Amino acid sequence: MSVVEQLLPSNRYLESFEMPDINQLVSNASDVIAPVWPLKTFIAVNPLQGLENLPFETAVIRSHHYRTANEDGNSGRESVNREMIKWCSVFFDQGQATIPMPHREQGLYHAFVQLASYDSRLLQESGSKVFLEALPSSAEEAILQCLEELKVPNADWEDFIRQSFAALPGWSGYVKWREHWQNPSESRICPSSLIDYVAVRLVLTRLLWPDAAESIDVPVKVPSYLRELPIAEKQFREELLRHILLQVERIKDCEQQRPDAQLVFCIDVRSEPFRKSIEAQGNYKTLGFAGFFGLPIRVSCLGHEHSHDSCPVLLKPAHEVSEIPFDVDSPMVRRNRLGLRVNKLKTSLYQWLKYNFATPFALVEMVGPWLGLRMFAKTYAPSLLKQAIEPIRQNLIPEIDAIPDLASISWEKQADYGESALRMMGLTNDLAPLVVLCGHGSTTNNNAFASALDCGACGGNHGGSNARALAAILNSPRIRLILAERGLTIPEDTLFLAAEHNTTTDEVSIFGACASPDHQSAINNLRRDLAYARSVNASHRCKTFDLPLHRDPVAATKERSIDWAQPRPEWGLARNAAFIVGPRDLTDQIDLEGRCFLHSYDWSSDDEGRYLTTILTAPMVVAQWINSQYLFSTLDNVAYGAGSKVTKNIVGKMGVMQGNASDLMHGLPLQSVYSSDDDRHHEPLRLLTVVYSPRHRVQSIIDAQPVLQKLLFNGWVSMVVIDPTDRNAHLLERDGTWQRVN
Amino acid sequence: MLFSFIGVPWFHTDQLSWIMATLIVFVVANILAFSRRYLAGDRFRGRHLRDVTILGVTILIMAFANHLLLFLAAWGASNFILVRLMIHKPQWPAARSAGTLALKTFGLGLFFLALGFWFVAQGAASPSIQQINSAPSETTSPQTTVGLLLIALAAMTQSAAWPFHRWLMSSLNSPTPVSALMHAGLVNGGGFLLTRFAPLYLHQPFLLHGIFIVGLITAVVGTSWKLIQPDIKRMLACSTMGQMGFMIMQCGMGLFAPAVSHLCWHGLFKAYLFLNVGSVVHEHRSNAHHHGSSTKALMLAGFAGFVGAGAFASVSGLGVNFEDTSCLMIVLAFIAGAQLSVGVSRLQPLAWQLASTPLLAALAGSLYGFSVRLIDTILAPLHVMKPQPIDGIYGLGVIFICLLWMLFNAKSAARLRSTEAWKTLYVSSLNGSQPHPATVTANRTSYRF
Repeated sequence: MSVVEQLLPSNRYLESFEMPDINQLVSNASDVIAPVWPLKTFIAVNPLQGLENLPFETAVIRSHHYRTANEDGNSGRESVNREMIKWCSVFFDQGQATIPMPHREQGLYHAFVQLASYDSRLLQESGSKVFLEALPSSAEEAILQCLEELKVPNADWEDFIRQSFAALPGWSGYVKWREHWQNPSESRICPSSLIDYVAVRLVLTRLLWPDAAESIDVPVKVPSYLRELPIAEKQFREELLRHILLQVERIKDCEQQRPDAQLVFCIDVRSEPFRKSIEAQGNYKTLGFAGFFGLPIRVSCLGHEHSHDSCPVLLKPAHEVSEIPFDVDSPMVRRNRLGLRVNKLKTSLYQWLKYNFATPFALVEMVGPWLGLRMFAKTYAPSLLKQAIEPIRQNLIPEIDAIPDLASISWEKQADYGESALRMMGLTNDLAPLVVLCGHGSTTNNNAFASALDCGACGGNHGGSNARALAAILNSPRIRLILAERGLTIPEDTLFLAAEHNTTTDEVSIFGACASPDHQSAINNLRRDLAYARSVNASHRCKTFDLPLHRDPVAATKERSIDWAQPRPEWGLARNAAFIVGPRDLTDQIDLEGRCFLHSYDWSSDDEGRYLTTILTAPMVVAQWINSQYLFSTLDNVAYGAGSKVTKNIVGKMGVMQGNASDLMHGLPLQSVYSSDDDRHHEPLRLLTVVYSPRHRVQSIIDAQPVLQKLLFNGWVSMVVIDPTDRNAHLLERDGTWQRVN
Repeated sequence: MLFSFIGVPWFHTDQLSWIMATLIVFVVANILAFSRRYLAGDRFRGRHLRDVTILGVTILIMAFANHLLLFLAAWGASNFILVRLMIHKPQWPAARSAGTLALKTFGLGLFFLALGFWFVAQGAASPSIQQINSAPSETTSPQTTVGLLLIALAAMTQSAAWPFHRWLMSSLNSPTPVSALMHAGLVNGGGFLLTRFAPLYLHQPFLLHGIFIVGLITAVVGTSWKLIQPDIKRMLACSTMGQMGFMIMQCGMGLFAPAVSHLCWHGLFKAYLFLNVGSVVHEHRSNAHHHGSSTKALMLAGFAGFVGAGAFASVSGLGVNFEDTSCLMIVLAFIAGAQLSVGVSRLQPLAWQLASTPLLAALAGSLYGFSVRLIDTILAPLHVMKPQPIDGIYGLGVIFICLLWMLFNAKSAARLRSTEAWKTLYVSSLNGSQPHPATVTANRTSYRF
């Protein structure tokens, strides 16, 4: 017995006893899990996020240790896990079950307590019912009581709770997401907290695994990949730097000819190969910028009932933007609305019969024949089916041009957003007649992980709406006037266009281009060149899918995007490895193979380093989240990934389980990072950041930003700075010193 | 007698064989093409595709088998192959356990079937299905009755009827296409088996009633469980259980042809839904619950119900007859029509609602009638459509289903949900529908791909 324990009164429920801060314990213990986003807005996150303040190796070993503690096959722990999965899956259900768990609105712990005493699985021992019925009304007290009754030594409480979290890191991580990241207005149907989760878990442990405190410590093991990582990273870094340093020599400051168009793409690694393809088609310049275009907005799209946050999860949306039809009175708009209503009615009638009693018996015979035919068409001729259905759909629900309603953002604020976007990417001089702001999104069919392929900067959504909004801002004469006052003149003949890059098919759709005749021909040329760039890029990508060379690459990629049997419609951000901050001249002659996030930055127009600070603390951090998710999903797909799509099961419309029931399988599915069960497609490498800027500027930013110190000095990200003034490259060591690498 | 081979043809072809063969070839062809892409990169894709093909062949043999031994062999083989397909990744303990559980149930089924066949063959003094079925009714021996009872039990294990349902609830560690194949093919084995021996069952009212009751329990339990499931695949499994219960009920009512119709169309329906599970994340559920139980709405619902029932009766060619069990489907068509009218009750303006309600009900009734008629017509020469006269048990069963439907949709039912009884019912349903503990991946690290 420790000294502390001896000092404690024997009856710990006396009021004189000072209750340990359960909140603090739970919060500390939750460092072992990372928030798990629901499937609809799948956000890449470092599964070791809570341990980022530790050196990388320590964090990996620690996380590995907690997650493999389960491997002893202890039947008590397994029973607790099973019951936990059972209750969590009914409690957190987001609309799969027709009849929800009773009393959900009272919160996880209370709803559980209400039902637990009816659960025969928990009442196997005498006294269980009494125990359940006498549970305290507060979750904190329940935790305390269970820890006592389980005879966990005081000093081990935090660690015991940590183990409780680590036993099912997916489910507990989902609760962590709800507690810290979910929009509070959306959590009302089933409120929950980590405290609730721990309370339920400990009550179950007390009943089903009373000797849990005696579980044996497993020896600490070091996963083998820790040794292999630095070697591969060094190799990659040296190779990349060799190419970039060659380019640095060639950067000239001389005036360049005005391009026909400038295209701004998301920093997403999938933009890079496409940018290269379009640059080759004409006098085009491309830039890279976070795909939400700096607009922290919540968007409600035309034809969608619900609005969504369209900005990085690190930001809270500051404005609501709704999209409205370009021409409200057009008959097309009326037809569109009617079509959508009929469609909705059809769906709800079907569901009305399906999720009911007795009616499903007749329903299956009504729709069985048609679903059989549909199955055949979708399996054997997805493209043909699409070709047949698309014109009909277009006819019934015609697409209409949308424009954003920016009334909720003041003119000044709009000007701020416009200015900082242009300045941050260094697009202040030589604006072309056309500036295309190109968001991105994916189109896939029957893909539970679809939003993992969408724009991460837009919170796992398509980025077109943000592009539309910024284009509208920058085209507004009033905004241009304000910007001119601030010393940022946009040429009168410059037109901003919004577009969206479909990363699955490489199609770029330009939105609502109703331009003056002199722009029209430029737009037509651009459309033609984009189509050509698409086929060039598609044929590159077909090679990564091992498709036969004789297939038309455009048709092949298109077919993948509509094929319901396709587990790998596109490779997403697989193979990502580096984040490059600098002008495009630094990289435009290099084949980066779609492995780099490219953020445009002009050091010479950022005297105070303000924009670089933003770039390094926001987009780079997002890139690190993405990178870590791919890294860990590849290194250990069972512990940190979602497992194979072949046996996936979707629970509560929000997460994936394997088979009958399991932990919530967070992370990326096997098929996103492996080309086969045994072969990796993604090469696991920690993020390398390359910055083209004076070194002292980067140094002072790091000195001022704890988040950068945490990531850089603990080895989560490595950084190379190429100083434009002397063209020397330095690698930042983890002790904070710089080592020259050229 | 089971082992006499002289003068007994191995195969016999009839309309039922062709229907089953068409269904299985269609489904297997879809699954093969789907799996070829879906399992790309999977270590066992080759074996999976091979097994699916073999499975198709064994089921085809079963569909055309005439000799009981051949039927039995094909039955056993197809189930064995199915278990292999289900396990898929043998290094994953939960998948192995699920396979073992299925194998045990199928083993029991095979035992029932073998014994049942032996009795039936003794009774009819022939192992030829054709001859057994054409035996005149007066000669029904006790042996045949025992045999038919055992065969019915085998059918229950195969179609996951209560109390043999657990293997199906625990079968979702299988690859998605295997689930699709299973729910469209193998679980229907029970319905096929009963229909195969329909001419004999039609002379066994006692057995028919037993089958009906088991079917009814399964249908009620499966459909209720389905409504509380939070994950898509188990919801589909519970739904299949309910549908199989309904199919067995139909068999028990002498409605063998509609049972086959149900088996086919449900098979396609369920296969599609399984293959399409990835889409469920983006499916928006409309919350059109519990509104509009005003007198006007109820009258409209009743009217729509009559329209639906009428459309069904005329399109299916069954007519309206409440003296025999074919009224079951008339009642269902009525329920579907009435339900649809509640579904459009929010439609504005009122004229639209009034116009669309009977139209939708008529459409629904006709679609249902069409599906049933198609299969009935094909099976007509087999004379397996013999609705039984309504008696207490059948009547109560049909009324019970109607009552549950009304209770589920009644506004006041929402109030029940805070009672003790509801909690007890909820938790026991939740526990009842859980997979076998050994088939749950309780520890994440025990998952293997």
